[in-house]
Amino acid sequence: MTAENVELVCPAGTPAALKAAVDAGADCVYVGFRDETNARNFPGLNFSRPELADGIAYAHERGTKVLVAINTFPRAGKPEIWHQAVDDAARLKADAVIVADVGLCAYAAKTHPDLRLHLSVQASASSPEAIRFYHQAFNIQRAVLPRVLTVPEIAALAADVPVEMEVFVFGGLCVMAEGRCALSSYATGLSPNMNGVCSPASHVRYVERGEKVVSELGGFTINTFGAGEPAGYPTLCKGRFEANGKLSYLFEEPTSLNTLAMLPELIKAGVTGFKIEGRQRGRAYVGAVVKAFRQAVDAIRRGEAPPDIDLDNITEGGRQTAGAYERSWR
Amino acid sequence: MQNPRAAQPSRPVDPPFSPVLLAGIALAPVPPRLLQPLFDAILSVVRRRHPGILERLADYPDSVVGIDPVDLPFVLVLEPHPQMPTLTVHRDFSDVAATAFIRGPLEMLFALSEGRIDGDAAFFSRQLVIEGDTEVVLALRNAIDGAGINLEDDFAATLGPLARPLRHFASVGGRLFNLLSRDMDMVRRSLIGTALRGTDAQSSRISELETELASIRRTLRNREHRA
Repeated sequence: MTAENVELVCPAGTPAALKAAVDAGADCVYVGFRDETNARNFPGLNFSRPELADGIAYAHERGTKVLVAINTFPRAGKPEIWHQAVDDAARLKADAVIVADVGLCAYAAKTHPDLRLHLSVQASASSPEAIRFYHQAFNIQRAVLPRVLTVPEIAALAADVPVEMEVFVFGGLCVMAEGRCALSSYATGLSPNMNGVCSPASHVRYVERGEKVVSELGGFTINTFGAGEPAGYPTLCKGRFEANGKLSYLFEEPTSLNTLAMLPELIKAGVTGFKIEGRQRGRAYVGAVVKAFRQAVDAIRRGEAPPDIDLDNITEGGRQTAGAYERSWR
Repeated sequence: MQNPRAAQPSRPVDPPFSPVLLAGIALAPVPPRLLQPLFDAILSVVRRRHPGILERLADYPDSVVGIDPVDLPFVLVLEPHPQMPTLTVHRDFSDVAATAFIRGPLEMLFALSEGRIDGDAAFFSRQLVIEGDTEVVLALRNAIDGAGINLEDDFAATLGPLARPLRHFASVGGRLFNLLSRDMDMVRRSLIGTALRGTDAQSSRISELETELASIRRTLRNREHRA
């Protein structure tokens, strides 16, 4: 893989964010419909069909592709809105759909054989056998890898499968086996896998207590932030709990993934798609992050090192990590 | 004249020392009802130019969102009913049964409405406070951010031949605001500069210690692993 072939795959939760991503230099923008067919089914977010038609026209006029995430798992016996989402994405001339459910992969491959399919991170496919299966059975062209692999593991995988690899390069981290995590269901009854939303805002409360702010999810206290301490969204996996008499982040800290400096390594490992997380974030975030990664990819294409760009002010918790790519905790 | 807000409990966001704060002090004697026509006009322009906002809020017709520009002596109450939305000015929230509250400096609220800053980042850094129904606040944030609002363009588009003088006035006003902000920041630094330097030094030291501690923990884990 060379730097010439890599694509910046950028998030957009609204038409304004799509324009911000395209204008900042995205190669692809990924979006979702305004319903539970995608894993960012947040209030006030996502695209109606007419908005997506306009967004695709805007992107295509500027040489940018649009990918539609239809990456939740259809309810048993009621797959209609998921099928409709695939049909509408094809009708509106989306460049690919991002799918996770085996049944939906089969429906898309059979009904729209010319529609390009990407395997969502929600499918949690991280072995050559799993990815090869999706390719052979449904002609999947690209797999988005879970955020649990090291760079050498990604390189080994890329060399062993006939599809493109896409990895997350910036944004919120999910350290669980994606598509199989039940923490949100436990606390709220709703999950990213079935309802398209992890730790839904309807179950989130922030309570100001003097200088402190307490974050709650479904009535559970998830964290207490002291005066001036950066706050975070109350997902169970990023909660600060007391265990064995010690207060700590048991699973992971509220920290953002940032791999700007690692992009050359990831290209060398055979990665095609650099995915920026954050369809739920605003257009200011989208514009700033896409611009930074555009500069980095362009610098690498010129044979230069990626520039050191400060993205601290838009990260969760004001902290950054290279996550599993380095596994510095080992 | 006594500020009616003085009797309220302390607010979780301190107003920044800015020209808006001075304007707020000057506005304190003005009854909120005299400001209402301005906010009626803002809502009318937003409805006409960005109908998608109310469409995205259609699931929350009965919500009442309290918006508190912490550096001004009044608050706003938004009721986003699709057919009959209202944006009303109040002295405080004492007579308002709001389902959610958003508090922050006026300049930040404007920047958020125009998508110039990221709402999550503002909240994570504790410069913005939200309370109550998080879902309606998030829906409002997404609806406004997604509309691509530009307040100057929006008002200019409704004023026809008056648009050019308005833009000129806004440009001059913006420059004056920036100059005044810079001067006030200088005054603030001269008053609390020493304390700020001490805090910066402490923050730097804490950061060094955190790095050192992480390194020690890693070493210990590696030793345990090898053992």
